[in-house]
Amino acid sequence: MQYGLELMKAYLKFLGERFAILVATVFISVTVVFFVPRLVPGDPVTAIFMRLVSVGGSRGAPLLVAEYRRIFGLDQSLWDQYVSFLRELLRGNLGYSIASFPSHVTDLLRISLPWTLGLLTVTTIISWVLGSILGAVVGWRGRKSRVLQMLVPVALVVYTIPYYILALILVFLFAFYWRIFPLSGAFSVGVVREFSLSFAMDILRHAALPGLSIVLVSLGWWFLSMRSLITTLKGEDYIQYAEAMGLKERRILWGYAFRNALLPQATGLAISFGHIVSGALVTEVIFAYPGLGWLIFNAIKGLDFPVIQGGILLIIFSVALANFVIDIAYPLIDPRIRYERAGR
Amino acid sequence: MTVIAAEQPEPRRYRSLLLENRKFLTGMIIVLTLIVLSAVGTYWLETGGRTSGSLPARQPPGEGMLLGTDALGRSIASQMSEAMPNSLQIGLIAASLGTLIGALVGFASGYFGKAVDALLRVLIDVFLSVPSLLFLILIASVLRGVGVQTMALIIGLFAWAWPARQVRAQVLSLKERAFVQIARLSGMSGLEIIFRELMPHMLPWLGANFVNAFIAAVLAESGLSILGLGPQQEMTLGMMIYWSLSYGAILQNLWWWWVTPVFTLIALFLALYLIHIGLEEVSNPRLRRQEA
Repeated sequence: MQYGLELMKAYLKFLGERFAILVATVFISVTVVFFVPRLVPGDPVTAIFMRLVSVGGSRGAPLLVAEYRRIFGLDQSLWDQYVSFLRELLRGNLGYSIASFPSHVTDLLRISLPWTLGLLTVTTIISWVLGSILGAVVGWRGRKSRVLQMLVPVALVVYTIPYYILALILVFLFAFYWRIFPLSGAFSVGVVREFSLSFAMDILRHAALPGLSIVLVSLGWWFLSMRSLITTLKGEDYIQYAEAMGLKERRILWGYAFRNALLPQATGLAISFGHIVSGALVTEVIFAYPGLGWLIFNAIKGLDFPVIQGGILLIIFSVALANFVIDIAYPLIDPRIRYERAGR
Repeated sequence: MTVIAAEQPEPRRYRSLLLENRKFLTGMIIVLTLIVLSAVGTYWLETGGRTSGSLPARQPPGEGMLLGTDALGRSIASQMSEAMPNSLQIGLIAASLGTLIGALVGFASGYFGKAVDALLRVLIDVFLSVPSLLFLILIASVLRGVGVQTMALIIGLFAWAWPARQVRAQVLSLKERAFVQIARLSGMSGLEIIFRELMPHMLPWLGANFVNAFIAAVLAESGLSILGLGPQQEMTLGMMIYWSLSYGAILQNLWWWWVTPVFTLIALFLALYLIHIGLEEVSNPRLRRQEA
């Protein structure tokens, strides 16, 4: 019991540290996002508008500039601007889109976020769970089976390919050459957006290729990492003890080795989450999938800086939050802490 | 100095270990082949093929046009001979900068400990958890029209967190070893210990981290370029994909246009990853034993 209590304390301390990281991440990235555009000489907003006007865009430009100046206090000192930037951010005000004025940036983000969130959550869960299970099986009995061992070099090759590069190959094969899946978008043009089976199928068909490119690549990674974890754990004393005790092999693998490998595997997820998100954003561009990556891509094309800025902030917040949630979930996976709670 | 030999292989032994490592060698051969191919290309191919309209457009690979031409009548082969060195240059500059900053931060954090470590650890964790591509998008879209070198520098500035974390962990474990304690007792200064005692043992580790950062940099370049933030006036592997996409190469069945940069990138990533694994196996004896 005393041992468990110590663990609980250590966990709380760890949680506090992770929360500090969460706060620091948000604060530092907001600060970077605020200051970087201002390192470039000249008033950032005007500079962008001038360029926009020169290419013949946005009729409301002067109006917009005035509105921006008022809200974000652009004629005041840098510090005052920073304070108003933070104040507006807390209110959830990310300003107006330039390309589709007078839309609020937050409205555009709200439309795009669900697509990215859906795609990322589903693909990450599928690849993490599937990769971990496969990796455990291969790591446990890999040497005995030639077929299973073949998976390793395949995973190694696939894992090194970026999602969006694999996406190009998949688009060519499955959408252009064989025409099994649609080329782009998240649903067919003109389809009725309602809660129906046909619309759901339509969405799934469109998500298949972007999803597949993310799943295949990350599956390779989770597979390799779980396999090496299990291979290492196989030599541990408690596994050999369990074997000597005559426990069923299945029980030793899933009840002991796998359980213990889950913790580093979850840490791996937390560490590589940012990487996964970056890759997924670019993948959306290949498929014109209407998530945050596609939104940012179009904002870059349309010189829509507020949207780029808002998209970046939203993604950073989400990633930081997701990492924190994975950290909180540790006790659910770590048997030592869980058993203690159940015992009390 | 017998103490060191007992704990870890002598730094000199690393080279022969590397030359015995199959993964490292395979990776090196692929990378060198790619470099030689692009160098030969630069030497042999007429640079005239790079400007649009200089050749008939949309030609598949065949006589006279080694890898075909794009929709603007530029030769794919001569684009490649420009893109390869540029992409590799981005990898080289960014990885050097990232590893250097990372090593300094990691050494400082691991060696000095206490408040320095606490502060640097938070910083490392923050920059690890934020996808650096986002900061790169921000900076590149503010600067507008970055060149190859500028892009490399920006990518390098955000590539230090992972090496820093790795180096810090290594320093923490090395610092307690006997030979470092002896060096400290014999009156060496902190910096002297870092460079004369710790560095030689960290080299293969730093090498592995360098290759890792190299992969990340080439990845970042292709991602940024596909998003439309690449060097518009120059050719890189990412820009080749960007142009092929923006001219609808897939839909028009101009497969040679996108297949060339895509498979070059895949070969490059695979090769670099093999080198990375090789270096890691050499620097970490435990991994070596596992594979044997």
